[in-house]
Amino acid sequence: MTNIFQPISAEIIKTIDETPNIRTFVLRPEQEVPFLAGQFIELTMPGFGEAPFTPSSSHFNRDLIEMTIMKVGRATGALFNFKVGDKVGIRGPYGARYPLEKFEGRDIYIVGGGVGLAPLRALFLALTHEIDKYGRVFLRYGARTPADIVYKYLIPEWEKLKKVDIDLSVDVSDEKWMKKVGVVTCLMDEIPCNEAESIAVVCGPPIMMKFVTMKLLEAGFQGQNIYLSMETNMSCGLGQCGHCKLGPYFTCKDGPVLTWDQVKGIPDPFV
Amino acid sequence: MKPRFLPTEKQKAWLSVLVADRVVFFPAIIKDQVHWQRLDPGMLGAADAPEWGLERIRASEPVKSFFFNPREKVATFPDKFVSPEPEKRVLFGASACDAVALRVNRKMFVEGDFKDEAYARRRAATCVVVADCPSPADTCFCNLVGNRPFAGDEEKDEADVALSVVEGGWVLEPLTGRGEELLGSSQAVEATEAQLAARQASREAAGKRLAEVNPKRFAPDTADRIWQRNQDKEFWSKHAADCVECYGCLMACPTCYCFLLYDKARGQGEMERTKVWDACYIAAYARVGGGANPRAEFVKRFYNRFFCKFSHFKTWQGMPACSGCGRCTAVCMGKIDVRKVVLDVLQ
Ligand SMILES: Cc1cc2nc3c(=O)[nH]c(=O)nc-3n(C[C@H](O)[C@H](O)[C@H](O)COP(=O)(O)OP(=O)(O)OC[C@H]3O[C@@H](n4cnc5c(N)ncnc54)[C@H](O)[C@@H]3O)c2cc1C
Ligand code: SF4
Ligand code: SF4
Ligand code: FES
Repeated sequence: MTNIFQPISAEIIKTIDETPNIRTFVLRPEQEVPFLAGQFIELTMPGFGEAPFTPSSSHFNRDLIEMTIMKVGRATGALFNFKVGDKVGIRGPYGARYPLEKFEGRDIYIVGGGVGLAPLRALFLALTHEIDKYGRVFLRYGARTPADIVYKYLIPEWEKLKKVDIDLSVDVSDEKWMKKVGVVTCLMDEIPCNEAESIAVVCGPPIMMKFVTMKLLEAGFQGQNIYLSMETNMSCGLGQCGHCKLGPYFTCKDGPVLTWDQVKGIPDPFV
Repeated sequence: MKPRFLPTEKQKAWLSVLVADRVVFFPAIIKDQVHWQRLDPGMLGAADAPEWGLERIRASEPVKSFFFNPREKVATFPDKFVSPEPEKRVLFGASACDAVALRVNRKMFVEGDFKDEAYARRRAATCVVVADCPSPADTCFCNLVGNRPFAGDEEKDEADVALSVVEGGWVLEPLTGRGEELLGSSQAVEATEAQLAARQASREAAGKRLAEVNPKRFAPDTADRIWQRNQDKEFWSKHAADCVECYGCLMACPTCYCFLLYDKARGQGEMERTKVWDACYIAAYARVGGGANPRAEFVKRFYNRFFCKFSHFKTWQGMPACSGCGRCTAVCMGKIDVRKVVLDVLQ
């Protein structure tokens, strides 16, 4: 009998402090978790609760699964006290993957804000792993301050990848910051791809998603080509408990990534 | 499968057989309300046994409680939890709306992308006998949501036997193989034309009564009309005004499927997970990590319930997530009547 509420065990084998309140956890699950970019898992912090997170590592390498997590409340707060060697639980994968076959041959314009780059990293790694299938990959990323940028140590490597174009901004700069200052939409004044054909993928705080979507639509992106991570409240991840309902969608099943065409009729989709 | 007749004097013998190797629940009348009660062998024929309410409307308790437990342990960590083997049960005298509610539960918990094995096994181990409702109450509106006050072939996905109280005994129609088997242990004989005619007359009278209670129909485009009203705060606020947010309507509802997984610490690095009924009216229901809440205002939560039941589920599953049982109306302190709200949308 399979028990859909039962997590498997995973060992924390490494942690990486990304920012003062964001940490990457590298986990070794007792059995492979067959996720694809866009899908999420339910992570059990034993005794402190369960919460949904999107793996930030590549789905081409699943012995280890990485999650980049911001400390915001009860369960995530407790997780930050977990040490290498401790065990956590995993259920999943759940939700729908990015339809990568629809991305083939097209430019992909990725916009991330804050910890929102974490789920996008899984996509970015999947795309760059098979870059010949796709057009160019643009990554636009904004954080509050330079210290709040995640994957600082990886971005220079990514910039060297072929067909990849990266630009960053911070809301508040420091004396060493050489790139743009402003909210992430300031990176979008010129969009160097064919908007009508290209794919846009967005993940970040709701307010950022709202303004980025408006900007993308203004620029000429098609609603069906704008992919948004709708991170609602979730409990089961199974399409049963009702918590994740967003208009006619169960984001845990139909999402978490939904297109603008899917969400545009929902009152206040970004809250 | 042919309807049978079991005379009153042979009912006790049959129930004794049933109760010998399974747990039987029946609708008991307690302080003039119908409540599910476990049948003890000692109750059969005992003078102080509660009166049976087979001819009354549905029990107060939502039928889902038998399968979708109000509170259930579902997982542990690091050791893996296996739910216990379910007991064999008979629900003897559910209502037709209960069968419809069980269909909603099945669509959610068994037929989706993931199957809740514990639910499925409990359900599979339970035989459901649906008794006709000869006298629907003012709160009943099964007829508005596409159902009827008795079970037949259309309800056989969730009802094993249809029971009708007639002069001198019960007409029992097996609807499934399992129902046939259950009847096999009784001394029922083939029902006569007269007995079937009596059943038919009683069913028609119940249908007429429902048509009197609910003269206005739900329009075929109810689902769309509710969705189109999703921005009309004034309308929903007007109907929500008397709600005291006790969540009684949702706890009494047999089709509400919401639940929450709640983890408790056991020892260092260990947990026990409980699945508990939840209610979408609760303020924190949709709150996300960090505190943002898309339905912080009650009126949005109030709308969500109507959208979920009468719009989204209908569009998605071809039936509303409402059986018309009227439990929510019966328990509401603010006297909010769901069917009146829906009818007002259709005005
Ligand atoms: C698909 C998806 C992917 C996500 N990916 C990421 C990611 O990659 N990185 C990241 O940092 N964040 C991600 N998030 C957000 C992350 O899930 C939340 O930040 C996290 O749930 C916060 O949990 P918390 O307990 O720390 O916060 P809290 O604010 O304490 O709680 C959040 C909610 O969890 C519920 N809850 C709290 N305690 C309990 C309890 N004991 N039992 C039951 N429910 C409880 C409540 O409904 C509460 O509103 C993602 C969210 C979704 C939906
Ligand atoms: S909404 Fe009310 S009438 Fe409909 S199934 Fe639930 S309790 Fe019964
Ligand atoms: S709603 Fe219909 S089936 Fe349910 S108790 Fe009332 S009359 Fe019976
Ligand atoms: S999280 Fe439970 S239904 Fe989506």
